[in-house]
Amino acid sequence: MKSPITLQINGQDYDIFIEGRTRLLDAIREQCDLTGVKEGCSTGDCGACTVLADGKPIASCMTFAMAAQGKELMTIEGLAQNGQLHPLQEEFIEQGGLQCGICTPGMILSAKALLDENPNPTTDEIRFALAGNLCRCTGYQKIIEAVVAASERQAQSV
Amino acid sequence: MTDTAVIGQRVPRLDALDKVTGRAKYTSDLKLSGMLYGTFLRSPHAHAIIKRIDTSKAEAVPGVKAVLTQAKLAGKVAKLVDEAHGTTMDFLAFADTKVKYQGEKIAAVAAISRDIAEEAVRLIEVEYEVLPALVDSRDAVRSDAPIIHEGEKPVKAANGETLRNVLRSTDRVEGDVAEGFAKSDQIFEDTYIVPRAHQSYIEPQVAVAEVDPSGKVTCWTSTQSIFGVRNNLSRCLDIPPHKINVIGMTIGGGFGAKFGGVVDVYAVLLAQLTGHPVKIVYTREEEFLDARPAPGLVMTIKTGVRKDGKILARQAFALWDVGVQGSGSWATPRVKGVYDIPNIDVHGYDIATNKPPTGAYRAPGGPQASFASEAQLNKIANALGIDPVDFRLLNMREGREVDFKQTIRKVAEKVDWWNREKGPNEGWGVAIGEWTNGNGPSSAVCTLQEDGSVKVFSGLMDITGTDTAMAQIAAEVVGVSVDRVAVTRGDTNSAPIAVASGGSQVTFSMGNAVRRAAVEIRERVVEIAADLLEARPDDLDLRDNKVSVKGAPDRAVTLGDVAKAASKSKGGPISGKGSFANEPSATTIAALIVKAEVDPITGKVTLRRIVQSLDCGKAINPMAVEGQMEGGAVQGVAWGLWEQMAYAPDGRMLNPGFLDYHLPTAADLPAIETVLVEIPTDNGPFGAKGVGEPPITPGIAALQLAIADAVGIDLHQAPFTPERVRAALREKANGN
Repeated sequence: MKSPITLQINGQDYDIFIEGRTRLLDAIREQCDLTGVKEGCSTGDCGACTVLADGKPIASCMTFAMAAQGKELMTIEGLAQNGQLHPLQEEFIEQGGLQCGICTPGMILSAKALLDENPNPTTDEIRFALAGNLCRCTGYQKIIEAVVAASERQAQSV
Repeated sequence: MTDTAVIGQRVPRLDALDKVTGRAKYTSDLKLSGMLYGTFLRSPHAHAIIKRIDTSKAEAVPGVKAVLTQAKLAGKVAKLVDEAHGTTMDFLAFADTKVKYQGEKIAAVAAISRDIAEEAVRLIEVEYEVLPALVDSRDAVRSDAPIIHEGEKPVKAANGETLRNVLRSTDRVEGDVAEGFAKSDQIFEDTYIVPRAHQSYIEPQVAVAEVDPSGKVTCWTSTQSIFGVRNNLSRCLDIPPHKINVIGMTIGGGFGAKFGGVVDVYAVLLAQLTGHPVKIVYTREEEFLDARPAPGLVMTIKTGVRKDGKILARQAFALWDVGVQGSGSWATPRVKGVYDIPNIDVHGYDIATNKPPTGAYRAPGGPQASFASEAQLNKIANALGIDPVDFRLLNMREGREVDFKQTIRKVAEKVDWWNREKGPNEGWGVAIGEWTNGNGPSSAVCTLQEDGSVKVFSGLMDITGTDTAMAQIAAEVVGVSVDRVAVTRGDTNSAPIAVASGGSQVTFSMGNAVRRAAVEIRERVVEIAADLLEARPDDLDLRDNKVSVKGAPDRAVTLGDVAKAASKSKGGPISGKGSFANEPSATTIAALIVKAEVDPITGKVTLRRIVQSLDCGKAINPMAVEGQMEGGAVQGVAWGLWEQMAYAPDGRMLNPGFLDYHLPTAADLPAIETVLVEIPTDNGPFGAKGVGEPPITPGIAALQLAIADAVGIDLHQAPFTPERVRAALREKANGN
């Protein structure tokens, strides 16, 4: 039994039909065709499926799509504004904060949520904020450096 | 070396923009029209006889298009042969009469949705007669052990014992170890244990396959080698390679486990059967139950030394817990490593257990063997009162192009090792790991475009940033800026043969192929530009996208001008091809220093510093080399501190998920410090050596010494969990 719902993702409304148990992850990937959000574990442990709901990072594999109605959702596809990359995106590129890239969308969104709340985090605060996003390639070193660099750039541009 | 314009620069990855915007396409992002979803029924038991399989209820579920079992494959596919992991693995596509590990595939279902496929799987009825499982390799070799594979023959081992369930062995004997021990002042004998670990790439194994009415196969997959997957499909399914096209999608991590055979074969089988495209995506649980993790190791190692620290003899006896299939034994001789040890007597055995098959994990067997080897060397150094870095310097081999000593000295200098300080319950550890990069077959084509840009085309899979390194190599040779190089990956139908992205061989092998292809371009550019500029070829300088006359920079033509002139010349447009295989490769080491703090109450170990040096020959892209070192160092240390695939006595895995299989998080780690050592090797492009594998190897041993230095316990079994640390502290307090 499918029901119509509207998801607001990256400022756009998506009218879709879903089942009550459809995960937000599947709704976004399969029905809204936004495949930047990834599935790594299906148990909320790896963070590859991270999206922002009203600015907070959530595991979309552990969230029912129904429950995401009325929230402002953001996926990695919505982070660049008017063709301009977010400073986090630019610094992940510049600092080498990614390798295989499968964790990158979720990692960047978790970092964005952190910087929105705490524009000048310490490296310990960054490490804590990203602890829900697993990366197997980088050892996190260049990811931390990228977030530090992005926060410094945002501070300069204010 | 002459100065370089692009080589040695921190060039951002070519695919980084796609990856930070979500545009990069991974296999699971594919949706084809009419696509079905495949899933598996797996054995809940580690060892059981299958009495009955009934798929009728599953087949009756609306939306189910195929239910496949071994019985239905009769006469079509007998066996899967997996040669990708350095060994032939020979097993049935599905268990039919007996299951040998928990998670073994019994049936596959293809349906119009994943939900329906999963529902159908639940409706398949299987009756089992459960048998006792062999979980520990030490039990599996006993004379009274049950036999896992029929037809097995007992093996007479080097130590005189008769071993059961041996799949194969590796032996290395040099000199006379008995004589070496006789001359030794002290002899040390220890047993070290390393558990199985999972590569834990965040993107699970995945494939999409389509078969056209003529039988031609197209397979999209996440792999380290499209040619490896193609060849494996061809062997397994008896389809000629030219009728199979493998398309490599963006790969979400591999670390040795993505060479095919895990899901791709099944996607093709289901596509053949149904006439629809079929997608199979592993769940994380399936990853732990039935992929290709790293084998566990129990190694007894005996080393004889002179009082002055010279190692005279080394003997090792290793049981590799490879599961039903796999190999680790070939890594046993790594206990000699880069040391000058005159007498060696090393024997490794691959032991079958009722656990999933194993495969390669970054420096396959290296971290396990290095733990035994290096941890014991640290213990010996301590017993002899010699500093562990000095002890290694004393025993390391020296050779042309290879200066292992410089690499360990550099990392020691970085932390001011000989004046190191520590607080209470803190300790320092050091270890090294060696690796010789691969040199497999590679071929590439480069073309000069009429706008002066360069295209590089190959069948290479980029995981670590190798496309960027290839662009840098081509740019350097031709004299263009790196933003004017486009790197394109072909599929197996279009691309020339490419080396697998594993074995630390891409930069070495494909880098040479690309360099040679670019040199062909350069030679024609020089020839044509010499005409255009009325200058001698020797007087030309290729740099900054143009060709100029040395000493007269105004006399110049752009590479675009040259390309256009070439198109009108008799020689035609400018392209080059380069190939490489099997030329002498280079050995390198990674040296690691770890500082850790141990909580004596809880037993918890906290990492304070991780500092690594690596001889990379020449860093084509230092940012990418550091990325390999940082990621590898963390994987090594994590194996020593957290990671283990744990099994119950009945063979069921206890922690098949990321909640209980602890991967390191950002919050678990300190900053990773890296020291690049550049000793160019003759055969590498611009002197480069392979760097992917060495960084993981010294992690467990370095950490073990840090803990020993912190609280005086000598741990022999990884990972060094709080329970094990506390138990050792209790034993120490009790005076044992």
